[in-house]
Amino acid sequence: MKRIEAVIRPNKLDEVKDALAALGVTGLTAVEARGFGRQKGHTEVYRGAEYHVEFVPKMLVIAVVADNLVEAAVDAVLEAARTGVIGDGKIFVTALQDVIRIRTGEHQAV
Amino acid sequence: MSYGFTRSRRQALKAGTIGLATLCLCMLTTRVSAQQPQPDPAGIATGDRTTAMDAAGNPFVPPEPTDMADPDYAAKKKAFNDYQAQAVKEPLAVKLADSVGHVRVATNVGWTLNTGYLVLFMQAGFALLTCGLIRKKNAAHLMMLNFAAYVFAFLAYYAVGYAFQFGAIAINAAPMNLGGTPTLNKFLIGGGQWGWLGGKGFFMTGPAYDAGSNTLALFEVVFMETAGYIIVGAICERITFWSFILCELFIGAFLYPIFGCWVWGGGWMSQLGSSLHLGHGYVDFAGSTVVHAVGGFTAMALAVILGPRLGKYGADGTPRAFPAHNLTFVVVGTFILLFGWMGFNPGSTLGATDLRISVIAVNTNLAAIAGSATAMILWYLKFGKPDITMACNGMLAGLVAITAPCAFVGPTAALVIGVLAGVLVCAGVLFNERVIKVDDPCGAISVHGYCGWLGGVSLGIFADGTYGAGWNGVGATTYLGKAGLGVTGLLHGDASQFLIQLGGATLCAVYAFGATYVVFKFVNGIIPMRVSKETELEGLDIPEFGMEAYPEGDVSAA
Repeated sequence: MKRIEAVIRPNKLDEVKDALAALGVTGLTAVEARGFGRQKGHTEVYRGAEYHVEFVPKMLVIAVVADNLVEAAVDAVLEAARTGVIGDGKIFVTALQDVIRIRTGEHQAV
Repeated sequence: MSYGFTRSRRQALKAGTIGLATLCLCMLTTRVSAQQPQPDPAGIATGDRTTAMDAAGNPFVPPEPTDMADPDYAAKKKAFNDYQAQAVKEPLAVKLADSVGHVRVATNVGWTLNTGYLVLFMQAGFALLTCGLIRKKNAAHLMMLNFAAYVFAFLAYYAVGYAFQFGAIAINAAPMNLGGTPTLNKFLIGGGQWGWLGGKGFFMTGPAYDAGSNTLALFEVVFMETAGYIIVGAICERITFWSFILCELFIGAFLYPIFGCWVWGGGWMSQLGSSLHLGHGYVDFAGSTVVHAVGGFTAMALAVILGPRLGKYGADGTPRAFPAHNLTFVVVGTFILLFGWMGFNPGSTLGATDLRISVIAVNTNLAAIAGSATAMILWYLKFGKPDITMACNGMLAGLVAITAPCAFVGPTAALVIGVLAGVLVCAGVLFNERVIKVDDPCGAISVHGYCGWLGGVSLGIFADGTYGAGWNGVGATTYLGKAGLGVTGLLHGDASQFLIQLGGATLCAVYAFGATYVVFKFVNGIIPMRVSKETELEGLDIPEFGMEAYPEGDVSAA
């Protein structure tokens, strides 16, 4: 089992969700986040004072998938979330020790 | 070359020409100013014994008859002479009459101004309502649209709009409750019973620098503002600020005042009762069509030009929901609008001396609650749960629809009109969203456009004749054979009123949509009025104004 975390543009959430659902990945967690990588922030003026906004609104999407689905899932997210403009985000794939379903207590419950 | 004239003769000729020209000019200006009524900026000449009257409007002082051809001339002249003789004997009574007349006008000026302030407060209500209905990322932008709407539409109306709309009001529609505004007495285009555009009071100065005129101006400018901000509800989340300002200038300077002149400024639509014997002419008490339908159909034209929001319609045309980001704002905004409507409708009598204001106030509320209840019930029946935003829109629909007929109907009719509006607004929202696919984020087209039209037509159906005798100069003493009968609709025996209402309300819709579409399709062709795709996806707050409505920390000083 792998944990796939994708930092994406907020307006891409529906597309990514639909793309993963098409693969059979039905569970998702979405977290509102702010972040930056190479996407520069911008400088604004507020009532005479300059300020710099570095953090840009993003969406953090977390899905746990079986090993055999990881590659397909990553490709699906890439295609759904990409615009080609700086600020598209990143995908992190990490190995998971265990996944337990609270309702039933089953382990390895991907 | 002297052409045979000696130098002294040339000098004499020059002096003579200048002298003659000056004389002519003096005569001309003297004639003009002697003929024209004088404005009263200090308010001390407005309201005197001539404005003292009983509750039915019969004046204390008989007016001096001027029309010698009048068959009643002799009787009127005698009445006037008798009054003059009596007045000489009772100087204190005359002074009291002056005071009573002034206090009567003062009461009405106070009333009109205060109800105008209530309508001004509706600006805040609409800002809250629409802000709550859209997405968080565009909240600051929308608030600024509402704010700037007040500023720029006011500028346009101050400059030319007020003069266009009311520059000729004294001719056919003098506001007697406010002392008559006699200085606003010229049509720029048209005249008599076929006036098209007023022509006095530009920049609210000169003949408009007058107590009565300013009272009217304050009241009418906030009505114009209402039409101005209605469009925000349909064009938000994708319009650029600069093009929005253009829209507001257009509405304040031309679109609103022109139709407003036709109906309220003594223009041709109000005079169709006298000129073509169509009921009492086109009647709209507080503006279902003049204000709301104009705003709603202008909004529709702009929404069509701009197109739907990105992502609103899927590839197969299914509409996507963009839920309201703050329902608290929506409900509070609606209540503020309801409160402001207590100024909008009753205030349109322009006088507290007209006790019909009580009936108007109750009718307004009845339609409001009926509209809301209907929307809640209908939505529950169709979708299983009452929709909070539709409950609010239903109340507003009822309010919009009763705005034209509120003074002319009774409570049962008011309730029915509210129910009809509740049905129409629900049908309208679904129609716009699913059938014609015009994206209207706040329902402005349905609430104000469709239900505004309904209000104009409802007057022609439900008016019961208990109020409005002599409206637009028709039937001052008898109408349809009955003494004192007022504005009457189809159900009470006046089919011609229904016809004129149907025609006038429809003309309003066509006019507002058509004029806006033509002008702004042209503007859009030169520079697109819609923001770029990136801006729209990111949210308009930062790209257009550099500020967010809800900044979430993470702000570091440069």
